[in-house]
Amino acid sequence: MARLEARTDAPHIQWHFSWDRLVQWSIVVLTTLLVIFPAWPLFVQAFMDKPLYDATKQLTFNNIARTFTSTELLGVVGTTAIYGVLTTVLAVALGTMLALLITRTDMPGKGLVSSFVLIPFFVSPLVLAYSWDTIFGRQGYLTVVVRSFGLPTWDLLTLGGLIVVTAMFYAPNAYLQCTASLALSDPQLEDAARIAGANPFLALWRVTVPLLRPAITFSALFIFVSSIEMLAIPLVLGSPVNIQILPSYLYKIGAVGSPPDYGQLAVVSILLVIFIAFLVAIQNRLVRQERRFVTIGGKATRPRLLRLGLWRIPAFAIVALYMLIGIIFPLIGLVAKSFVVFLNPFINPLTVFTLEHYDFLLTAQSYSNSIVNSMVISTLGAAIGIIFMAMIAVIVYRSTFPGRQALAYAAMFPRAFPGIIVGIGFLWAFLLIPGIANARNTIWAIMAAFIMRYLPLGFIAISPSIMRVSNELDRAARVAGASWFQMIRSILAPILFPALMSGYVLLFITFLKEYASALFLYAPGSEVIGTSLISLGRNGDSGPMAALATIQTAITFVIILLSRRFLGVKLYE
Amino acid sequence: MNDLIIEGLVKNFGKVRAIDNVSLTVKNGTLTTLLGPSGCGKTTTLNSIAGLDPIDEGIIRVGDFVLNDSKRGIALQPEQRELGMVFQSYALWPHMKVYDNLAFGLKLKKVSDTETKKRIKETLDLVGLGELGDRYPFQLSGGQQQRVALARAVVTQPRLLLLDEPLSNLDAKVREHARIWLREVQKRVGITTIYVTHDQAEALAMSDMIAVMSNGKLLQYASPADVYERPVNRFVADFIGATAFLEGTITAINGDQAKVLLKGGQTITAQTSTRWRDEKEVAIAIRSERVQVVTDSSKTDNVIAARIISSTYLGSKWQHIVETDAGSLKVESLDAASDSLLKLYLPPSAIILIPNS
Repeated sequence: MARLEARTDAPHIQWHFSWDRLVQWSIVVLTTLLVIFPAWPLFVQAFMDKPLYDATKQLTFNNIARTFTSTELLGVVGTTAIYGVLTTVLAVALGTMLALLITRTDMPGKGLVSSFVLIPFFVSPLVLAYSWDTIFGRQGYLTVVVRSFGLPTWDLLTLGGLIVVTAMFYAPNAYLQCTASLALSDPQLEDAARIAGANPFLALWRVTVPLLRPAITFSALFIFVSSIEMLAIPLVLGSPVNIQILPSYLYKIGAVGSPPDYGQLAVVSILLVIFIAFLVAIQNRLVRQERRFVTIGGKATRPRLLRLGLWRIPAFAIVALYMLIGIIFPLIGLVAKSFVVFLNPFINPLTVFTLEHYDFLLTAQSYSNSIVNSMVISTLGAAIGIIFMAMIAVIVYRSTFPGRQALAYAAMFPRAFPGIIVGIGFLWAFLLIPGIANARNTIWAIMAAFIMRYLPLGFIAISPSIMRVSNELDRAARVAGASWFQMIRSILAPILFPALMSGYVLLFITFLKEYASALFLYAPGSEVIGTSLISLGRNGDSGPMAALATIQTAITFVIILLSRRFLGVKLYE
Repeated sequence: MNDLIIEGLVKNFGKVRAIDNVSLTVKNGTLTTLLGPSGCGKTTTLNSIAGLDPIDEGIIRVGDFVLNDSKRGIALQPEQRELGMVFQSYALWPHMKVYDNLAFGLKLKKVSDTETKKRIKETLDLVGLGELGDRYPFQLSGGQQQRVALARAVVTQPRLLLLDEPLSNLDAKVREHARIWLREVQKRVGITTIYVTHDQAEALAMSDMIAVMSNGKLLQYASPADVYERPVNRFVADFIGATAFLEGTITAINGDQAKVLLKGGQTITAQTSTRWRDEKEVAIAIRSERVQVVTDSSKTDNVIAARIISSTYLGSKWQHIVETDAGSLKVESLDAASDSLLKLYLPPSAIILIPNS
């Protein structure tokens, strides 16, 4: 056996090139370029009287003046405010109630319900909007059935309809926030209320529900921001009846209107970005203030479930009805529609069964392209994206890089950018920088826009896993003689592998669903599924549209199931 | 009378018997500690008294106020029991100020506003936090939170005070102060108290009575001195601080003196209050702090030879692990040992005889 002996000879130090700083600087420069790239043309365009690419353009303040005096815009802002607030209230109420029922009561069928409640999370809002239209629209399946009985019907194509559908889409977010908060809360707090004389309902109402306040506020802000960025649902259900909220209005004046009003588009975009940045800043403050609600952990005890007694069955019935109406029935309707010539309650679907919609998709070049392009962008883009985002997070949390806090801000910067504005920004940047204009219509440009838009998502997804790894592990590696980059490769990367896989799958399905930031970038040859869905919907090709939506949703669920089965990936816990 | 009476308490978790037929009586105004290692059933017993865990069999009552009676189908909900409880995590409601934490239970008991104010002031003064009513729990130190938790538990003037390892989240130094303070408050309020801990020093220092539990069974229920001096079995002796066990056989009994033949052939004398039979196999628990290292030959009775295996310096003393013919044990001395061979004097009072079962 070798003897252990302390070394006494002098260390010989020689200067050598440090890869560490090079890697760190490259990531920092890339991140900065990526987030500034689509942002700066907005500021140029805001002060130009003609489109950026027009050589005769001149400096003007007219755009700003027009924006602040436009009564049409004022109306849109008002609608957006109502839409955002009511969507948030409804989504948060739904999500919180579901979370309480599923985690804290003895309602039957909780396992079943909890696996269905997250479905909207994985489905594109475009798909959800189209499926609702299929079932509850003016000629929707159920609408027609109810009308045939001579009963009064509803009109989905109203502001109220938009709000309900959007709230259904965002309710899972509030549900997840509340469930996570409930899982962390100390069951002894409720026990203490019982001992003090409160009955189970009162203990829940006075102790547990108030403690959800940070989670509720946090998700309310998130849902508000997301809903005023929402393009798909207003575009599908609002635009046909001229109900506009800001993103669909921007799309209208930028892409549909002729000639497009780029000046006003830029000014409104900048104002919207500033407003959202302000909301995001509030949200970040809230996270820090949550300290007040952190308690000393007690023994790991399971919280006692609230006995609903006679209310068990009604509670389950209401939740099941919500699932059926909100999620399951519309999705089944959309899938059914993709397999029939004509979906109508009075025609036996088997007699009109057809595969022609799928056939059409696969033979029409532009639509089959969009499936291939989406798969390439998702597979490759998510891989590049998650590695890039993980490197950013590692530099922020695990390096001595002097500007690492600024890097964190840069990575979070795109959070303030609605998808449609990312797309406009990328388009203009490609047009403004000489020599790269032709790249704007490639799938690589779209991939870059997706990565930029979802930098914050990946950064937030991977950061907690990095912070959970004790930094003594890195220090041990450094003391043992590894450089910073070697430590990342041989210590952090293997430990973080499961988290990276989860992040990859999350980005994959996000990229597969994304449409808004591609709207201004795609051209023949670089369509993605989302843009094809919108053009099919606009052309009234509802059969092929349903088929494409079915394909997109099916790919998403297959990926989720496979990754859960074989990689142990859990996307949301 | 407000004695707490528990009779034949049984509690199962699935097939595991968490509490196995426990009966005990806690005299009005006294403090009883449930002592045992984790998983022994002490916290489950406490939760059963609180009504947080439903019981399977048995009676729990405070005087004539019946909390549980499995035969008559009585099982009050926690909120109907009128108890006070301090949780291990303190369980202070983080969204309420200290004052509101205390007021919550009073409001539910429909105590008038003026009375509520008066009682909260008195109680906060009692725990020495009169000025802190306006603070949120997160603005308090661990020790202060623990005081608020106690104040909240007693402000409603409960029938019983239940304490679930209330000191385990405190630093060692604060803990010792808190121990003395807690006992003083309990005596001043004069409330019947059940205290759960796994710390034997805490139990010995604070209790009127100690109930030692293991595997859901009540092994011994006696005063601290009795539990310490006369443990009923090897488990209790071990848990309450004996550091070594030797084996031997009783060869003769003479009044309260027993002659014990150690493994290895040496005979020693032990003091015992139990009536033993001759030829009885016994375990001999040794309290290391009472064993003396002898350097001269003035004593010959109860002296055995030992060899030092290792020595550790503890500041005020040295601790040695030594080996004898009868087994190994820990002993202490004031000075470092100069020789690895020692002679140990085992005073009869340092030896506790326990039936070897």
